Amino acid sequence: MEVPILESDAETLKEISDVTGAGLELREMQKIKEYFQERKRNPTDVELQALGQSWSEHCSYKTSMPILKEYLLTIEAPQNMVVVEEDAGVVDFDEDHAYVIAFESHNHPSAIEPYGGAATGIGGILRDVVCMGAQPVALIDPLYFGRLDFADELPKGVKHPKFLFSGVVAGIRDYGNRVGIPTIAGGVFFHDGYLSNCIVNVGCIGIVKKEEIIHSRVGHPGDYFILVGGRTGRDGIHGVTFASAELHENSEHESRSAVQVGDPILKEPLIHACLEANQKTLLTGMKDLGGGGLSCAVGEMAYAAGYGAEVSLDSVPLKEQGMESWEIWVSESQERMMLSVHPDNVDEVTKIFKKWDVPCTVIGKVIPEKVLKITHNGKTILEMELDFLTKSPRYKRAYTVKEVTPVVPDLNLPDNYNNVLLDVLSSPNICSRDWVIRQYDHEVRGSTVIKPLNGKIGYYTHGDAAVVKPLRNSFKGLAITADVNPRWVTIDPYWGAASAVDEVCRNLASVGAVPHSLADCLNFGNPEKPERLGDFVQVAKGLYVVAHTMGISFVSGNVSFYNESHSGAIPPTPTILGVGIVDIRKAVTADLKGEGNKLYQIGEAEREMGGSEYYEIQNVFGNQIPRTDPHTLKLRVSTLLQAISKGFIASCHDISHGGLAVCLCEMALGGDVGVSISVDSPPDVELFSESNSRWVVEVKKGKEKEFEKLFGTEAHKLGEVSGHRIIVDGLIDLSLKEVRNAWEPPLWRMMG
Amino acid sequence: MGTSLMEDDGMSINVCILRIEGTNCEQETYDAFKELGAQPEMVHLTELTPETLFDYQCLMVPGGFSSGDYVRAGAIFAARIKSRLFSALKEYVENGYPVGGICNGFQVLVELGFLPRLSGYPEACLATNDSARFECRPTLLKLENHCAFTQKMEIGKIYEIPSAHAEGKFVSPLIEKLMESKQVIFRYCNPQGEYAGYPWNPNGSEYNIAGITNEEGNVFGMMPHPERAFFQYQNQDWTRTKNNGAHGRLFFESVLEYARRL
Repeated sequence: MEVPILESDAETLKEISDVTGAGLELREMQKIKEYFQERKRNPTDVELQALGQSWSEHCSYKTSMPILKEYLLTIEAPQNMVVVEEDAGVVDFDEDHAYVIAFESHNHPSAIEPYGGAATGIGGILRDVVCMGAQPVALIDPLYFGRLDFADELPKGVKHPKFLFSGVVAGIRDYGNRVGIPTIAGGVFFHDGYLSNCIVNVGCIGIVKKEEIIHSRVGHPGDYFILVGGRTGRDGIHGVTFASAELHENSEHESRSAVQVGDPILKEPLIHACLEANQKTLLTGMKDLGGGGLSCAVGEMAYAAGYGAEVSLDSVPLKEQGMESWEIWVSESQERMMLSVHPDNVDEVTKIFKKWDVPCTVIGKVIPEKVLKITHNGKTILEMELDFLTKSPRYKRAYTVKEVTPVVPDLNLPDNYNNVLLDVLSSPNICSRDWVIRQYDHEVRGSTVIKPLNGKIGYYTHGDAAVVKPLRNSFKGLAITADVNPRWVTIDPYWGAASAVDEVCRNLASVGAVPHSLADCLNFGNPEKPERLGDFVQVAKGLYVVAHTMGISFVSGNVSFYNESHSGAIPPTPTILGVGIVDIRKAVTADLKGEGNKLYQIGEAEREMGGSEYYEIQNVFGNQIPRTDPHTLKLRVSTLLQAISKGFIASCHDISHGGLAVCLCEMALGGDVGVSISVDSPPDVELFSESNSRWVVEVKKGKEKEFEKLFGTEAHKLGEVSGHRIIVDGLIDLSLKEVRNAWEPPLWRMMG
Repeated sequence: MGTSLMEDDGMSINVCILRIEGTNCEQETYDAFKELGAQPEMVHLTELTPETLFDYQCLMVPGGFSSGDYVRAGAIFAARIKSRLFSALKEYVENGYPVGGICNGFQVLVELGFLPRLSGYPEACLATNDSARFECRPTLLKLENHCAFTQKMEIGKIYEIPSAHAEGKFVSPLIEKLMESKQVIFRYCNPQGEYAGYPWNPNGSEYNIAGITNEEGNVFGMMPHPERAFFQYQNQDWTRTKNNGAHGRLFFESVLEYARRL
């Protein structure tokens, strides 16, 4: 079907873009018009849709890439193997192996249909790792919702956070558990700013033999394109253009079809079959069909190798009859992968997929010209130069940087620290996450050696980073964590982002891991609004400054804009996923080990309590959020790693949300043993400040002197492990039972 | 790790690890047998025939969500085994070969009517957990009686083997009889060895039953995952108590020992 753009004026062009759902801006429509004027014909509906997919913010990073390239992506590290340009980052692991990281958002679909949206998020991120030839070994899910006890009238079209939270967790659980990849890290954060737009980020780590790394580009002209996996249907039409616009009250009605339907029991054999075909070196390229479907996969695979493609839609297996050509071309139906295969190997590839009972269809071939040509029912429905289709415009949009004028609230010291601590422990952003964590199979594959919950059998606490041991015959492990405090980023995007990287490094070092690589999932509002883009720029700078000093790169990532609706934008949320390397035999957990061991704090608390849980409980506002000195962080991380490696440390926990007091309680709960410490003045700062680059460590008996010598003034003694109470000299005296009763039940009470 | 222990005198045990789409604990089950010097093989159900079944001295049905478990857990896998292999498998069991099911594999053996006894129809059920949700947590098991998979363990001792399932509550009209006839092999307990309630009993199983055997002791199913307790580094609390050992390993050592003596 022809779309009459040659004779259209500006107004009509915009209307065409809206009516067809192509989601293109006017200046883009005009550019398309010029292109087809030269060819003296109108585009077909398929061509317009393909351009809409390819040029969407989601696929093209047209706004974010110039900014990322200026800051974030300038860091180089010797361990990096593939950075950013493919579906996942690849980093050196040992002589023969690399690990693969992918990290993405699945926000818009999850806000409309939480169960399916989250499940297909897992499905998509697994494919991103598999298409590098890697075996997935871990899943990571940082989640952000509105307050669970929200009791006012919900904005129109918005679903209650409780419904979204339980749906998202169930979706991750049912998909991740069924597909047999452990979900080992993540986080849950509640904030009013996520009421209309929940944020669902999904990460996956895989392991691959270096010789088996395969790329998302075709081999040579003459190679066949083989579509494997699920059938193509009307689910997931316009997913990427949907993700590149704000949600509104009719989003559910209009965009329900943009949410795909997941099938983990097709994914599981699909993974086996793809990896088997790759291991037998039968493939020249592999790419997952995610955002944009066939349209993005075929074009990008051919273009990346400098070739073109000829594809027929006639043989694409369909879920239903009567699908339009453009629907087939842009559908984002799940569980599909695209392979490029030399003609000699097609039979053998087909045989492998037959064994696994997974559909496998040749749909086209690679041609030398950089042109994409699609036919359907004997007609050419798309014919465009890939230089035009795949190379989207890049924009330098206007932005404004937020001025942060310091506000320090006037606050009296509390008269009862016991009550303050219990309130902080039971706050939704501090309390136990076991309601979520135990619903995920975090041990399948048998390689999770430091689990997300640490502690004595029958007791538990939150760990800092989880560790998987990806290879059977090596003790080398991958430590994994994901962090950000969106309250801080809202107040001050630069230092909030810097703090997120600080926290990631802290968590990795806590278990004894050397920070090794990062991935970022940058969730923001509408970048066409200058203040939102200003936040984004500041975040990019803040992330850079700490990562750069630590010598680690952002090897993979994703930008999700337009997390905004008529009731406002989300807090800027740059979720940072960190991977560290650790000899698992030396790994350390957060649970206290033995009475009489001395406790030390590394680093000092500052009065920088803006966005802290303490201010939240006291219901006051302050905007001096913690800053960080990356050089201090780096020094402390390396000194702590030395102490762990020398075997001085019995347990270690980073000081973050809730400050020192919460940190000690968590350590005590895991070991089911108390602490007795004293702190300096002012006590509210000492106990509840969330200053960066700090840890509490339990030092083994007899190692105190060596530990003190190693750290010098960077660490000071707090007290010791003893009894069954949390005692802070003259300020706090609570039984472990009281502490446990505050910390454990809140999520259970809310969610049942 | 490193060197595999070839404890037998050159006679290697072939182990069939049966899988279909959605079985997902086959790799770690495979690794456990391999580590002990056996010859495990992952075999897709479509590749196993009534004849090739007898090439193996042990059959394992691993954990996972076979076919998605969208019906009752294990029901689809069981139905597919039944239609291909039922009489051969019956003969296999009657000849005394060991057949083990872990988690989803236990559910399959019950659905198949091979546990609690060879009847050909389900006489028990692994029902939805009392908590009505999937739970992944460490569990402690007390060994009550022996079967082909436990000879290297001690009756009365407590073993740390983790659980991860949504449907693990053992219920059966034969339950009193099973207790009497010593077919109950593992029961959930607390660190003191008491048959405690939730969360020590993670699913609400009657009599805290975690694993049972058939009357002859060569077919065995359990909900917890011994393949996830094969190395001490898999224990939840290994950073606290390094000398606990890895209890799941004994499961694999026992059945190999049993198979060698056949």
